[in-house]
Amino acid sequence: MATYMALRPEFCSLAGILAGFSHLGRRGLRACRCQRKCPLIRSTIPSISSSSFHMAAVFSSTPSSVTVTEEPDTLLQKVSLLVKGHDRAVLDSYEFFATTAAKELGITLGKISEPLRDIERLTLLKSIHIFKKHRVQYEMRTYYRCIELSHLTGCTAQVYLEYIQRNLPEGVALEITKTAMEKIPEHILEPMWKDPSDDNPI
Amino acid sequence: MAAHTSKAFLSLGRLNVSGFGLHRSVNRIRYATLLSTNSPSGNKGLPDRGSRGAFARKPRRDAGEPRTEKMAVDQDWTAVYPAAVPFRPSSVPLPVRMGYPVKGGVPPEKKGNLELIKIPNFLHLTPGAIKKHCEALKSFCTEWPSALDTDAKCDQHFPIKVESREYLSASPSVRNPSARIVHLKVKLSSLNLDDHARKKMVKLVGERYCKDTDILTIKTDSCPLRQQNYDYAMYLLTVLYHESWKTEAWEAEKTAADMEEYIWEDSPSQKNILDTLVRMKVAGEGEELREELLRRKEVQEYKDSVTRLKNEGESESAMLQYREAVKKILNL
Repeated sequence: MATYMALRPEFCSLAGILAGFSHLGRRGLRACRCQRKCPLIRSTIPSISSSSFHMAAVFSSTPSSVTVTEEPDTLLQKVSLLVKGHDRAVLDSYEFFATTAAKELGITLGKISEPLRDIERLTLLKSIHIFKKHRVQYEMRTYYRCIELSHLTGCTAQVYLEYIQRNLPEGVALEITKTAMEKIPEHILEPMWKDPSDDNPI
Repeated sequence: MAAHTSKAFLSLGRLNVSGFGLHRSVNRIRYATLLSTNSPSGNKGLPDRGSRGAFARKPRRDAGEPRTEKMAVDQDWTAVYPAAVPFRPSSVPLPVRMGYPVKGGVPPEKKGNLELIKIPNFLHLTPGAIKKHCEALKSFCTEWPSALDTDAKCDQHFPIKVESREYLSASPSVRNPSARIVHLKVKLSSLNLDDHARKKMVKLVGERYCKDTDILTIKTDSCPLRQQNYDYAMYLLTVLYHESWKTEAWEAEKTAADMEEYIWEDSPSQKNILDTLVRMKVAGEGEELREELLRRKEVQEYKDSVTRLKNEGESESAMLQYREAVKKILNL
């Protein structure tokens, strides 16, 4: 049976790469990205497991500081992004951005659906004292967009998700559901009570 | 000199905005010195100062031509908007209008339009910009193995599915406690279980097993970190697997009420039909032993139909099958 050991490149976080590039200034692109990313370093960074982040110790002068490790890459069968916002137009634009980025990086897109919106309405008294007959109504609208991607490797997912999350507009929330697939571990392949005369260990 | 004065006065409001620390201190000094020697420098704004008090306004510098006039059609847009920045009407060469229209009019123009500043814009993420970003990011991506193109193959080689969620939203805290929950899904048919082990496993997990899809779902949320919950889920799976292979002494006391499915052997149905057939034979001629009766084809068909009725519930086809089997066995 073929083993699916993909070589996994070390993914240095984008902030780290650009910190290394800031003094290069060779191409306008790099300088632009440096400007764009550095102020956003403080923004919310999602809870990606830090065990998979290995900062490369050496930033060489060449742009590609990709190191390859022998550790097998995780395989994600499905990644589902649920984007929530108050404005449909913003979600439309974000969906265009996410789908274009996925196509550029060669990620297979699944369904793109729009779940029904939620409206939460409140009716409050207009005045601070008496005047019960005069009220004011507020509503909070939440629009949704669901983008499904399939067949991603762990590295690609990290890159793509970090790119998506850094460019999330203000006031928009994102919920990511990842379905990783794994082989059955060796200790579940065979029962350990092969010999009935053994005591039952735990 | 006039320029210096205006700069000094202007620096009052703009100290926070300018990032030049050196200039800031210089401006401060200038302002302090100018304050003492106010009268000699005769400027158009100064006479107002006396009448209006502290809020005298110096005329601002002219804004000059907006940048949009000087933009070439084939410019590099990623240089104009490299980062996520609020909308700048003088940097965007589009005649955008936004807002509620005046009565009988059109929505307000972009100059000084707060609605355009409030809404998030994607001017820094044009298709060209996205392409450039992805070009740079491509070297960090890996390819999906081409042999795993269908879901069936994925399930066959990688039967265990681990599902987890991440949350990102604007809030005082970066963390979301729901991000620690891990769902572990596995099909029991892909595990190495024999008959007894499978039944015991189903009994052990109870509600976590779905009979229709044959998927066991273990949801762990008792640990504070996702990695811990994942380890706990794998531990639970291991323990369940090994425990289900064990046969305890008390399992021998399994009664008919504990059975998962209906077994026809040694059931009242078998006794009844054999009694009926024996009595029919006795009424006719010759005696047949019960075992020979069991081996007859009609009895087997009857057994199949009764088992199907009991296990799958009542349905049109099941009832018809039962009817046919009874007709054959009673020679009707």
